[in-house]
Parts: sequence; structure tokens; C-alpha cells
Amino acid sequence: MPREESSKATRRSTRSSSSVTVENAEPNESHQPTVDDLTFGDESITVDAVLSNFPGRRSQILDLIRLVGPLDCPTLPLMIYGSASTGKTSVVLQVLRHLSRPFVYSSCRTCYSPRILFESILNQLFLHRKCSSNGYSSAKRCDKPSDFVNLLREALGNVIESLESGSETSRPDKSDGKPMGKMVYLIFDNVDLIRDWDKGSMILQFLFSLYDVLKMPQLGIILISGLPPDVYYSNMGYTDPLPLYFPEYSEEDLRQIFLRNQVNRKLYSAFLDVVLKPFCRVTRRVEELSTTFSSLFRKYCEPLDDLGISPNEDMKRRLYSHLKPLIAPCLNEIFRVSSHPHDGVTRGERRQKASYGSENREELETLDFHMSTSAKYLLIAAFLASRNPATLDASMFDSTGGMDNRKRKRKASEKSMEKKEMAEQEAVMKGPGSFPLERLLAIFQCIASVGDSSFGEEEEEEDEDPTGYDKENNNLMSDILLQVSSLCDAHFLIKSGSCPLEGSIRYRSMVSEDLALKAARSLSFPLAKYLYRR
Amino acid sequence: MGKEIIPAAEKSLNLIRGRLCDPSYVFRPLSASSDSNYSKLKFIVSTSITEGCNNSILLLGPRGSGKAAVLDLVAGDLLEEFPDSVSLIRLNGLLHSDDNCAFKEIARQLCMEHHLLFSKMASLDENSQFIVAMLRECGLAHKTIIFVLDEFDMFAQGKQRLLYSLLDAMQSVTSQAVVIGISSRLDADQLLEKRVRSRFSHRKILFLPPSREEFDGLLEHLLSLPADSSFPNGYVSRFNEKIKNITSDTRFKDILRTLFNANSTVNSLLKFIFRAVSLMNLESGLLSLENFKAALSSMQRQPKLEAVRDCSILELYLLVCMRRLEVKEQSAYNIISVMKEYKTIHDSFQTSDYYAQNVCLRAFEHLRERQVICYTENRGQSQTGEYRPMKLLISASELHQGMRSHACCPAILLKLLDH
Repeated sequence: MPREESSKATRRSTRSSSSVTVENAEPNESHQPTVDDLTFGDESITVDAVLSNFPGRRSQILDLIRLVGPLDCPTLPLMIYGSASTGKTSVVLQVLRHLSRPFVYSSCRTCYSPRILFESILNQLFLHRKCSSNGYSSAKRCDKPSDFVNLLREALGNVIESLESGSETSRPDKSDGKPMGKMVYLIFDNVDLIRDWDKGSMILQFLFSLYDVLKMPQLGIILISGLPPDVYYSNMGYTDPLPLYFPEYSEEDLRQIFLRNQVNRKLYSAFLDVVLKPFCRVTRRVEELSTTFSSLFRKYCEPLDDLGISPNEDMKRRLYSHLKPLIAPCLNEIFRVSSHPHDGVTRGERRQKASYGSENREELETLDFHMSTSAKYLLIAAFLASRNPATLDASMFDSTGGMDNRKRKRKASEKSMEKKEMAEQEAVMKGPGSFPLERLLAIFQCIASVGDSSFGEEEEEEDEDPTGYDKENNNLMSDILLQVSSLCDAHFLIKSGSCPLEGSIRYRSMVSEDLALKAARSLSFPLAKYLYRR
Repeated sequence: MGKEIIPAAEKSLNLIRGRLCDPSYVFRPLSASSDSNYSKLKFIVSTSITEGCNNSILLLGPRGSGKAAVLDLVAGDLLEEFPDSVSLIRLNGLLHSDDNCAFKEIARQLCMEHHLLFSKMASLDENSQFIVAMLRECGLAHKTIIFVLDEFDMFAQGKQRLLYSLLDAMQSVTSQAVVIGISSRLDADQLLEKRVRSRFSHRKILFLPPSREEFDGLLEHLLSLPADSSFPNGYVSRFNEKIKNITSDTRFKDILRTLFNANSTVNSLLKFIFRAVSLMNLESGLLSLENFKAALSSMQRQPKLEAVRDCSILELYLLVCMRRLEVKEQSAYNIISVMKEYKTIHDSFQTSDYYAQNVCLRAFEHLRERQVICYTENRGQSQTGEYRPMKLLISASELHQGMRSHACCPAILLKLLDH
């Protein structure tokens, strides 16, 4: 996504000094950070540039500029919230770039514990850079909020002093990226992640009351959160910051966003006319739509020889009819990132053509990954063990195989239908049943032997000696226990609680029915006969 | 944005916002009268200073009612009146509830006051001995130490060792100390242990929300510009005139009444005025009633409605399915049962929005991220994946309202929700 890429590149540059080219090879001669590095670093931009960079965010940008206020204006803490990829972080950084105010940015996603968060902020304020000469250590060690408050006061005092002495020299040119004003802004990004930290509620409480504790009017605090402010309400109560809401983009905004930085706007806008409406019904998030649109656009442009032309009505209709059959399966794959690399696009296309050629639901008949035969049998055995009640095992896996002789046609009464429905509901709620390891191995043995012999010759199994194992089966046995543990790692089997009477571990199968069907189909195993249906 | 901005407008904006962010300025008029909390507190503390006795007080009141601000005003006045015989130690329950931290912080502040060297390596016992020794010395020198304990209820958690040692030292040693606790829990003194409570003097000052007349006076105090020479001549009078017009307007009184129905502390009024002042028209430099109206509507947010309005159509379908399952009195449902309901709706109504399982799973994740649905806490069974029971976090009326105000909600969904 070109817009996000450009803002990501500029965002990265705020963490290092961007006014000087960074020389990675010589850390000894690295540039000592100064107060000037606390700004965005690049040249300041006008309001119109900010507004045109972020289509659909006009009112939020103007609100934010008003709330931050003119130069040296004290401000109450702000909280900016909205769902993911709505542009919160980039808008805040670009607005502060436009206003050329010095700020300190830290994200609670990269600073995942209080100590790292506090030390990152203090490093930036003390203008300390970690390099080999100081052993990559922070300026001060700080892991408690009480130390942080004292050190922050000291650091802010230093920075504000240097800002004041710097601003005494009058600067005619306001757009050279130097910091303006005597206020410092602290930006805390991804504040909602703090809830999952150890003692997270205390840290959140501390952050919200930081402004009142410090009592410094030259400090402005901006919190960016992915969750609305009401999730932070707790027993202790706090003075909540001023909220600013970033709603999800509407369809018009999405259209403008996707049209930016496109080489051929007319062609892309014809493409968006076709594609935007159906995909917006599923999701309106930019990051999810952009991956699908980029691959679809490539397919859309296939019949065209020249990508620079602007299409007329006739061509639009032609392109639409070319793209139309691809839309429906693409909608169902919208969140799936293709495992085929871009070079292998032809292989993927062939597969897709084959897949939507056949109209039935089970399009991809094969498993996406490779499994050994014994692992597949184990998977099927686990699936059966979870679905079927244990009491039916004997009759299910007897010599005749399957349960086709158990059906008794009887007219079902209303009461039994109701009971059946309730039982079905309960079964859905309870999920797959648990089974001990011995049952799994027993079922595995049965079906593995079924698979080995052909179907028609079921009489042969009566002759099979139940106690004597073949040499093959013996070798298979030790591998099976290894396979069980690798299936557990792959989360096809999970360990559920142990039975209090027996004390052995019970397993549960997490395999969905389609996966089991796919595995069974690849082994030519009649799964349907062994499945118990109420 | 390209029009001329009057420099006086920016200056007045800075001035007013500076006032709003400074609690001692805000609460000064409220402390003017003789029976206010300010005078009570000042009387208690100054008598204990002049008579050389120990005392302990609790300041209680909801958040944002100005307890810390009034205390700051009193402390400022006392430090002026008795410059050499008062020293102030501040602790905050959020930061210093751990005993180690608390003693260290007290020792550090005492050292800073009396120009002593503070060692960071001192242990808890050393610090507490130091504090007791300082208390004795200050008592002999007739110097009062005022301990301010913010978020007092946080100190009352755990063993209450700090409280006990402070109050015990005040009783046994020849000391002159005043302990002032600030808390927003009105029952903060009930949280104290028996031995601590017996040493506590049970004086409480309650901070109640101000009356309407006090609020009007406060508004004028905050919003009127001073008539000094730094502003252009006519501007100040025009500005104050406009303010008077607005505050006497009945619509403004309605706005204020709506605001106070929700939250009648001074803090919410400050936030409201802050928002309104930030919207000031910088070209004319005057406030208007529209600013206040816009500020009120931005304070009355409805987060669940916003969350529903942000949903895509597939997510709305899933919410409607969950609601229908609730209506059918299925108290517990998980993803599999919701998908079944989704399928039955598709089969009976032939909707065009039927998507595969993985798409719906991702839509569930989006809904969970927005806190519209969540997993129920399940102690008994350990379910994982798609079998975990879920529940809706919004009520039926909120869902209804959200869908009706949604940009492109299909009509069939509203019909499905209704019956």
C-alpha cells in the first residue's frame, strides 16, 4: 500500500536522528542526538498536504490540530481511539510534523514491559543513544513508576531549558524542521496492550494520572488506543482524557485511498467500480482489502495489452466479464494469504481455474500439506474417537465394518425429535469428546488394517489373528507414539484434563470435519461408514 | 484556513487554556468564602502548626472535585506564612504503595529539604530509622512536617506498614506532624486496620459538587479576559460581552443542565469548556453558542453504537444470528451454532451474503477486537477454538439503533432482528 509504506518509512525515521544520514558501519562516530532531533526530522508540511495525504480524515485532522492548540498552549491529555488501520498513528505524527513540535514517541507494542517503556522515553528525553561505547545500555535504569516520575521531571526540565534557549534566536523560516515552542509532547501508542501486562491496570491508572502527578504545563500527553475508552473503566476510577474518535472508512473514502498513487487512475477506478462494493460487505479494513485488490487488479488487467490506456464503456464491460467469475471465490478467500509466491502465479491460476470450473463446494480435494500415511490414519482415528461415543466402538469396528445394519426405520415422535434437537445442541456446545490414548491406538489399529486390505474382502478379517502382530505393525507402533506427540504439537490433538479414576491423560481431537474428509479421501477410506450420526 | 488569524485570538486562547489546565487557578474563587473547605483545612493545619501538636485529616470526595487543588492552595499559603517551620512531603498511592518505595521517597524528599545526602542503597529499616530520627529532630526544633498522602486508599491495602509507622511515630516521639490523606473513596477510613484507626483522628472534610451559583461564578472567573494592556482595546470588552450574552442565554443553561445531569464535578465542566474554547473561531476571536453545543455533543459519546456502525455487513449478519439464538433462549452458544443459524438464514431467505467458514472466523475476530462480543468465562470445562461459548456485549436496543444508523445495512437484517 503506497501510502502506508511512505508513512512507515517516515515513522521509522523518528526513532533515529533523521536530519543526518545514519552511518551504520561506524558506530563510534555516530551523531550525538540534540534537541532538534525530537521533531519529525523532515521538512514541515502544510495543512493542505496533511489533508490530502489522508482522504476521509478531514474532520479528525482539524479537530486534532485544534485540540493540540497554537504554540505553547497548555493542553489536557488526549486519547485517540479507533479500530485497527484507521490511520491514528500516522495522522498524529503528520500533524505534529506540520506543527513542528518536539515530541517523544513510544509504542507499547515494541516496549512490551514497563521498564522498557520507561527507559525508552527517558533515553529519548535525555538525548541518549545506545551504542557500543556505552555498552548499549539506557541512560538511567528505571522500572518503577515512582522512579519514572522523578527522572521524567528531571529530563523534561533539561529539554525545556534547551528549547527555551534555542527559541530566543528568532527564526524567520518556519519550515526547516527545527522544533518550535517550549512544549514537549509524549505519545503513547497501542495503550490497549497494557491491559494484558502484568499489573497492567496499575500502569494504566498511572498513565492516565501522569499529567496530574507531574503538574508541568509544558507537557502534553497523547494516548493512542485501539479500543474505546470505556474498556479502561475500573474500580479505581480516573480522570479520563479527552477522546477523539477515528471511525472506519466509508466506501467513498476507501475509493479515494486506493486511487492514490495509482499510475492509471481511470483504469483503476473502473476496477474499483466492480470490486469495491462486494468486498466492502465483508470487511472495510484497508490492510485486508489491499492485499486482495493487488492480486485481483493484476488479473483484471490481463486482457489488456497496454496498461496506460483509459478504458471506454465497451472495454469496461469486457474486463468486467473477464473478472466476474473470479470475484466469488476470491471473496471466500479474502483473508487467506496465498502460499504461492508471485512467481508461481501461473500454477495458482491453473489451480484456481480448475477449482472454479467444477461447481461443487468441495473444490480443493487434496490436503494443502503433506502427511505420512500413518499420520493420516491417526488423524482419522482421533476424529472418530472424538465424535463417536465409546460404547459403540465394539459394534462399529467389528468384522463387518460400519454401521449400515443398525438403522431401524421408525416414525419419530415429536418428543423424540425435540430430545434429538436438544442433544444435538448440547453436543455442539460441548465440542469434541475426549478419549484415552489406548482407545485411540485401538481404533487406529482397526482402521489401519481395514485400509491395508481391500474393501470387498471383508471375510478375510475374520481369519486375522487378533493377538499376533505382524512385523510391520510392530515397527509401526513406536512411530505411532512419536506421531501422536507431533500431532499434539500441530494442534490437531490437544491434551484435555485427566480422568480422576484412571489417572491417564485424555486427548481431544481438534480436527474439523472437512480436514478429516480430505485425509480420508486421500487414503480412499470410507469415513462416512464409521461416523456415528444421531 | 487561509484567512487571517487575529494574534489576539491566539493569545486569549492560550490564556484561557492555561487557566483550565491549572487547578489552583480554577479553585481559587471556590475557596473565597469563609465556610468553604479551604478555610476549614487551613484552620486545622495552621492551629496544629502554631500549637505544635500532631494531627491527621482525610479529604474525601469524588474525582475531580478539587481536593488536591485546595490542598495545594492551603500549602502555598502556609509556606508563605510560616516560611521556616513547615516542610511538605508528598506521596502518591499509585506510585508509592509499596513500603520500600514509600520509605525511600520520604527519605529522599526529607534529604532534599534539609540538604542532606541521600543514599539510594539504603534499606527499608535504615530509611524508617532515619524518618523517625528526623521527626524527633524537627519536633525539637518546632518544625512541622506535613505528609500529603494522595490516593490514600491505595496505602490502606496490604499491611499498612507505612501508615502505622507514621501515626505511631507521631504519637510516641516528640514530633510535630500533620498527616493529610486524599481519597476518592468515601469509606477510606473504614479500610484502616484497628491499630491504625485507633491512632487516626477521624477528621474528615467532604468535598461536594458546587452549587449552581458557584458554577456561574466559576464560569465567569474562567472565561472573562483581564482588561490589561496586552490585548487590543476593543477586543477585551467585545469578548467579555459575548461571554455574558452566551451565559445568560436559556439554551446555554439547558446545555449546562444536560452536562450536570451526567457528571456534576468541576472536572467535567473544565473538560467541556476546554473543548468549547478549542473550537473558538480564530478569525473573529470570539466564542459562540455553537462551540458549546459542539463540545457537548462530543462529550456525549455512545461507544457501542460507534462500534456497531463500524461493522461490515458480514459482521452485522453474525451479530443478528447471535441475537436470534439468544431470543430462542439458547443461553450458551459458540461459533459452530452461530454458523448453523447463519446457514439456516441463508437457506430460508436466499441472501446474497453467504461466505465460507474462514471468512466468518476472521469476522468473529474483528468483532472480538472491538469488544462487541467476548468469550464467557468458563471454569469447568477447558474448551478451545470454535467450541468456546461466547456472548454479546451489547444489548438488543443498542444493536437495533446501531443497525438503523448504519450506512448500508440491508433491510433484511432489520427484519430478521425484529421477529
